[in-house]
Amino acid sequence: MAVAERTTGTPQPIGFNRGAMGRVGLVLRWIALFIAVVLFLLPFYLILRNALSAEADITAPSWTLFPSHLQWSNIGELFKDTQVPMARALYNSAVVGILGTAGQLLLASMAGYGLARIPYRHADKIFYAIVATLMIPGAVTFIPSFIVVSSLGWVSSLRGLIIPTLFSGFAAFLFRQYFLGFPRELEEAARVDGAGYFGVFWRIVVPNSLPFFAALAAITFIGTWNSFLWPLVIGQDSSSWTVQVAMSTFVTAQTINIHELFMAVAVSILPLILIFAFLQRYLIQGVTQSGIKD
Amino acid sequence: MPAHVPNAGLSRRDLLKRTGSLAALAAFAAACGGNTGRPSSDSGGGGGAKVNLSQWYHQYGETGTQQAATKYAKAYTDANVSVAWTPGDYASKLSSGLLSTKGPDVFESQLNIGMVKSNQVVALDDIMADVKDDFQPGDLATNTVDGKIYGIRMIVDPQVIYYRKSLLDKAGIKPPETIDDLISAAKELTTNKVKGIFVGNDGGNALGGPALWSSGGTYLTDDHKPGFTDGRAAQAFGKLHELYASKSVLLGSPTDWTDPSAINQGLVAMQWIGMWAVPGMQKALGNDLGVFAFPALDAQGKPAVYSGGWTQFVSAKSPNVDAAKKFVKWLWIDKQDFQEDWSLNYGFHIPPRKSLAAKAAKLQSGVAADTVKLTADHGHTDNPAWTPKMGSAFTDLLTNVIKKGADPAAEITKAEKTVNAELSRLFG
Amino acid sequence: MSASVKTPWATDPATAGERRGARRRKGIAGNTLWFWVFVGPFVVGLLVFSYLPIIWSLVLSFFEAYNTATPSKFVGLQNYIDMLTDHNFLSSLGTFTIFAVFIVPLTFVLSLALALLVNQVKIARSFFRSVFFLPTACSYVVASLIWRLSIFNGVRFGLANTVLDWFGIDGIAWLSTVDPPWYWLPIVTVRLWLQLGFYMILFIAGLQRISPTLYEAAYVDGAKPGWQVFRYITLPQLRATSVAVLILNLIAAYQAFDEFYNLIGNVNYARPPLVYLYGISLGSIQDLGHGSAGALILAVIIMIVTLLQSRIFGFGKAGD
Repeated sequence: MAVAERTTGTPQPIGFNRGAMGRVGLVLRWIALFIAVVLFLLPFYLILRNALSAEADITAPSWTLFPSHLQWSNIGELFKDTQVPMARALYNSAVVGILGTAGQLLLASMAGYGLARIPYRHADKIFYAIVATLMIPGAVTFIPSFIVVSSLGWVSSLRGLIIPTLFSGFAAFLFRQYFLGFPRELEEAARVDGAGYFGVFWRIVVPNSLPFFAALAAITFIGTWNSFLWPLVIGQDSSSWTVQVAMSTFVTAQTINIHELFMAVAVSILPLILIFAFLQRYLIQGVTQSGIKD
Repeated sequence: MPAHVPNAGLSRRDLLKRTGSLAALAAFAAACGGNTGRPSSDSGGGGGAKVNLSQWYHQYGETGTQQAATKYAKAYTDANVSVAWTPGDYASKLSSGLLSTKGPDVFESQLNIGMVKSNQVVALDDIMADVKDDFQPGDLATNTVDGKIYGIRMIVDPQVIYYRKSLLDKAGIKPPETIDDLISAAKELTTNKVKGIFVGNDGGNALGGPALWSSGGTYLTDDHKPGFTDGRAAQAFGKLHELYASKSVLLGSPTDWTDPSAINQGLVAMQWIGMWAVPGMQKALGNDLGVFAFPALDAQGKPAVYSGGWTQFVSAKSPNVDAAKKFVKWLWIDKQDFQEDWSLNYGFHIPPRKSLAAKAAKLQSGVAADTVKLTADHGHTDNPAWTPKMGSAFTDLLTNVIKKGADPAAEITKAEKTVNAELSRLFG
Repeated sequence: MSASVKTPWATDPATAGERRGARRRKGIAGNTLWFWVFVGPFVVGLLVFSYLPIIWSLVLSFFEAYNTATPSKFVGLQNYIDMLTDHNFLSSLGTFTIFAVFIVPLTFVLSLALALLVNQVKIARSFFRSVFFLPTACSYVVASLIWRLSIFNGVRFGLANTVLDWFGIDGIAWLSTVDPPWYWLPIVTVRLWLQLGFYMILFIAGLQRISPTLYEAAYVDGAKPGWQVFRYITLPQLRATSVAVLILNLIAAYQAFDEFYNLIGNVNYARPPLVYLYGISLGSIQDLGHGSAGALILAVIIMIVTLLQSRIFGFGKAGD
């Protein structure tokens, strides 16, 4: 379904002359674009400004555009603050993000491949059972899920944070659709050489689907890093907080150090900005794949 | 089997057979055992092995508290006590902790009858027997259900209104004696840079109880009936709306009323807050600090002080209940030096032990002494029969009256319904 | 391995080898085993972490369960009746409806507008696309913090109040003011900032899929570029994308929790269903019987609305 990127927008007829009205429209459109850019970048400016300010700069009666002295010491202050276990939270988020993403992709891709390629008389029913869970909105099951997980004794543990989220019906669905469209010739060629399902999957299908995996990996990692409700419910002990929960409890704390909190914000979005910078293409592909099911 | 019906019964049974109904059964078994009995991870056994206890605190605003709590825990040699320090929404964290199998052995909170009825806390009469008389009757009553004591009061937190003497003097205002006086004082003290009073970002829900008491009402009567239903209570709540609508209350502060930043930073002239904040306020404002109780509704009413605080409980789900009881007896009954330290060296709290309170030098002068006297004269403690569900209905009443200007009598009727339903559930 | 269900083709593993030629696909012995190797772990997990909780919640919703997660007293449908007559729960559904009325059309229109704007840019298009998509790197927690503490806080050093001050207008307590309900402004804008980039990408992909020949044919027939072409060619061609955007948006809005919890907390005037349910079950009220009932009611509502929506709009694409 690759579509070549067009260089311009809606095609215009040949020899199209905008005329005065058209030119005004063009200028208006550029102004709108400019305003939109400013509005969208505004919060990032605030993060940077507040993270590097002293508290007095922030609470001053008149607005300081940027602090006169950049307070890089805020970073040290943040990590030395015993009330906010930032380093531990970052570690937890990283482990949950990486293991969670890897686990989700592994399980969903194998399930999707099995459903797409292995003939089995109940495959359809199982597929519908999986799709049915998509109908139950995920967040509505958090109460009973908490009960189940707490009975297993996984509260306040990495296991409790990761394992319940590994089974994404959405990812399985996407993988199944994708594998249905995977070129059979490649698989048949490998079969002829004597490979079984496992071999075909790992040696042919996966290596030839890396862009799809990368796209889903990027989206899943971001979603996991940013998730809040489940880590909030499970993370009762501060040693099991993810970075989102840590920041959230920081806000409702009795005293707020705004500069410290914003430094925490800056630190927490840094990994995702990096993913953005390097994997943007895959990210966009992933979004497009998940939105339009072809 | 029609294929388009998801979760067709037969296929689910099939799945259960194949994919480990054992897993599901195991989960159910663990669940059924986990909420009433004790988890099997009993660390008892061989003599000499020290048990591990976990002690949960909420995040105190005063610096040094976390270190002090940890110090006390380390000083106890008969068990390994680890301290969990919880910022943010402690009530929710505690609730889900008590529901799970990984909750605290020992924790601080306020008693409500639901905790007793669902066996979340252990009775402490045996360790309290010798020292009962050294506690104020109000503090005992607030931790007693059906004649049994379930918690040890750790600190008493009187909540009152502190004010900047200089600002009131400049405007020629005396400390208000009725709620109407308070409202007009707040209005007069409001300038475009300073608001008259800070009562919380929610517009004053914390004043609901004091307003009720100042009208002569109470949350629940002694025979378990709603005590907030008469016209005077409605009047008092209406006055809170008047205060809010006069635009002399500070809103949208980054911290809430439990933190003295608003009055310290000069954003308000008066603030509803507890005695815990006095050292911090004195550091910022010096002698420019005065105090008065929540004023009476009118000549018929009386001023009111909310005498809140924190209580130590032992969790009934703990695998080491006896060890936990020993620990809380050691810390909150025997170690009077630690108790004194906790009450007076990090913010000011009234020590619940009468003997300690009598010799607390720091509370014998200045604003602190005034607060103590006000508490003795007009203090009200919590009623343990008041459940969180009733509290939530009461908060809804306050929000609707204060922020939306709803009719107090109508809102009272709504809240009364919920409270009565809870009362019949609890007391039949 | 019972073979109680008859299918048009024989699937008895014992004869799989002989049937190999009869099937279009090349069969391999032990298909069933391999199927479960691939799909099994996933299904087990789904059972334990999706179906089991739902069943448990269903059971719990018919019992009283205060301060405990095990059923105590059977109450039949009472919990459901209580929730459906609970004015707090109903008002939370109302809050959600107002929220959806704001957010769904706004998201649709604005993300489509952004997509059109970005699509027509000839220079530095990926710069613009990145800028609008960048907020995806932020979580609802992060955005709520920025909104609550720095932009829309009620005191003098908030950005919004500072700007108002430049125009000589008094500061507003954005999140605390009920009359007029200013708190909707931060709540809606925070989600817009976070989401528009995502939906813009979907629309851009949809726009790129439209074949230029459609436009050429229209111009030949005398259509005027601009609004006419947009209304009669572009919009209809975007139908599949639009449906996806609307459905995804609505489902996401139903589960709004993060921004309400972090921006405004548990207040009774701006409380969507999930915040309310969280408060009564895992908050200090610990009423899990009613919480479970409420959660199931919410789930049913969402399912019904989703089904209705897809019936009205049609899925618009093959192979679902």
